[in-house]
Amino acid sequence: MAYITGPDVVKYACTCGLLKPITHLYFCRYCTQIRCSFCVCHEIDSNFCGKCSENIPSSEARLKKNRCGNCYVCPSCQQDLSTRIASKGSANPEEAKSTPKKMYYLLCQFCRWSSRDVGIPDQSTVTGGWPKRENVHANRLQELVDSYKAIILASKKHQQDKEKKKRVKCLSYTDRTGVTAAAIRKRLGLPADMTHPMLKNRPKNPEPAKAKSEVEDLPDSIFTEPLNLAEIMSIEQRLLQPEQQPTTVDKLFPVHKQLSIKRSLRCRSCEHNVSKPEYNPNSVKFKIQLFAYYIIPEIRIVTVEPLRSGKTSELIVKFTNPTQHQTTITFFELDLDEVESVVTEEVAEVAESFEQSLYLQEKQQLSLPSLGSLSQPSSLLASRTPSITVKPRRIKEDLNCKIGIPESSFILLPRDDAAEYDDSGDSHNIQDDPKLVKWRKSNKAFIRLYVTPNEDLPLNSEVTCGFVMQHIYTNTITSKVENKEPQQYNHKVKVFLTLGNSVGCD
Amino acid sequence: MMSRNNIKIFPGAMVCEESKLRGDITIGSGTIVHPSAVIIAEAGPIIIGDWCLIEEQVKIVHRLPFDQQSNENSQPVLIIGSNNVFEVDCIVEAPKIGNNNVFESKCFVGNKVTISNGCTIGAGCKITDEQILPENVIIFGVNCQMREGLDRPGPQTLQMETLSKMLPNYHHIKKPNMKKE
Repeated sequence: MAYITGPDVVKYACTCGLLKPITHLYFCRYCTQIRCSFCVCHEIDSNFCGKCSENIPSSEARLKKNRCGNCYVCPSCQQDLSTRIASKGSANPEEAKSTPKKMYYLLCQFCRWSSRDVGIPDQSTVTGGWPKRENVHANRLQELVDSYKAIILASKKHQQDKEKKKRVKCLSYTDRTGVTAAAIRKRLGLPADMTHPMLKNRPKNPEPAKAKSEVEDLPDSIFTEPLNLAEIMSIEQRLLQPEQQPTTVDKLFPVHKQLSIKRSLRCRSCEHNVSKPEYNPNSVKFKIQLFAYYIIPEIRIVTVEPLRSGKTSELIVKFTNPTQHQTTITFFELDLDEVESVVTEEVAEVAESFEQSLYLQEKQQLSLPSLGSLSQPSSLLASRTPSITVKPRRIKEDLNCKIGIPESSFILLPRDDAAEYDDSGDSHNIQDDPKLVKWRKSNKAFIRLYVTPNEDLPLNSEVTCGFVMQHIYTNTITSKVENKEPQQYNHKVKVFLTLGNSVGCD
Repeated sequence: MMSRNNIKIFPGAMVCEESKLRGDITIGSGTIVHPSAVIIAEAGPIIIGDWCLIEEQVKIVHRLPFDQQSNENSQPVLIIGSNNVFEVDCIVEAPKIGNNNVFESKCFVGNKVTISNGCTIGAGCKITDEQILPENVIIFGVNCQMREGLDRPGPQTLQMETLSKMLPNYHHIKKPNMKKE
């Protein structure tokens, strides 16, 4: 897709204020707003292995450190390893006539690395039982993990105690009598109990790591022997095995393949999905795909005359209607400040209340719903917490070119997949403004615009212009459910065009 | 400088009529040359060994580097060993090639690179710098990473058997014009 639509010279402004090409945008048809990957909620639907296409439950995935148990990647070039069969005759000459035993080894088709290279013995089963390597630091890591787990447990307990204390505060015996624990301590002549309650039942600290001041000297051979780069691992290869980080290629061992995820995207303000993939790992289709590419007219630059500062040039852009409904396109002047204030007014009220709830949530040290949902998607569905709407930010784009906004609007016909095979020619009956519409065919229209780069624009600088495009969005959700006429909205999109560099006069 | 075509084909070799052979070329027995393969002996004769597989759109060009082109008298011979595989659309200009090498699809080997035995040049890899590739070297990836293999790549006997059965059914084969030594 990037190949077809790139380079990103036409950018659309998302509701949140980021500029992105249309292929990276979503359109929430419940809010009739553009969304992008930055302002939607990402949720993990399923973990799966990209090689064996097996779904792995999230709990199991966590246990296996998000890696597939059966598939391996090449430690040399990170491609998937494939299992090869080698038949091996029996070592015993007396049994030589018996059928040769099948043995399996791993081979990378790309860089020809094989498990025999590092001396891993061939296995007799397909899935292997390939030897696992012990992590030398496993004990230390376990110790640390255990101690941190204990700390979490202690702090949880501490919080519970605190809440309990709060509840029984008024009933506290010492409170009524006016004698507090501290006062009693003072009267008895004991030092004040300064230890933090959390420290009291603090679990045993892990042994701190010790820094060594004496390091082994480099062997003399490193200065005298020529370096053989073929024997030394690259950084990528080393980082693929973080627990070992070997330095020479004879320690390249196969690595379990990392799992991939399928994720669904949810609009934050109305909590409807804008993208939901099918569950099956083999499928690349979507259950819900509200991509802007299928809803908002696509704009492409066709030609632009050489741009000179202060001079007007002709710009021809192509509009394509991706929907099954006719739409009308109208242009408006783009004013970044004004646009922003309108948007803020609209959402200010909502945002404020959400911000308050967010503030409260933070106080209670609850995880944000968006963050929490990453680790436990099911809990989000069980108890819907109000999502946080991200306040739209100011669009950061320097416009150095004026665009002549045409007064008239034009019609874009609906998309017709069969039009390509229709030889009868266009039989549309549209009264077009000949100054605006240069040419049209089926659902496409070529529009003539005039752009004037600013007077003070230096030579060879990138020229950017922008306008607001209003198109009619036909909402088909309600019509399907209630058999009503489809609702139509006027939807405005801010569009930014990068026209190229300015040139000198004549 | 290029003399007229002088193609010597040993019995057992399968050279398709549609292949483009220019200059003095000797093709050993068992070698398969696909249609639309190009072999150009520009600077001197080319001798191809036994059991090589030369696939479609392969270009094997015997061309000297610019600095060696001046001396007119010498006619260096490009000797290609046995059991080499040239995969689809690779361009090889190496001045010397040993045995059991694999040139994968769309790779490029410049005319300053000498190939020894058992090397694999990965798909799309371009090597142009003056060097002699040691035995069993494998070049792969976009950055032409290099590593040393344990042994030479296996011969493509199965593929060549199939081809030697299939090709005569669909293509005209050049007749061998040499006798077995």
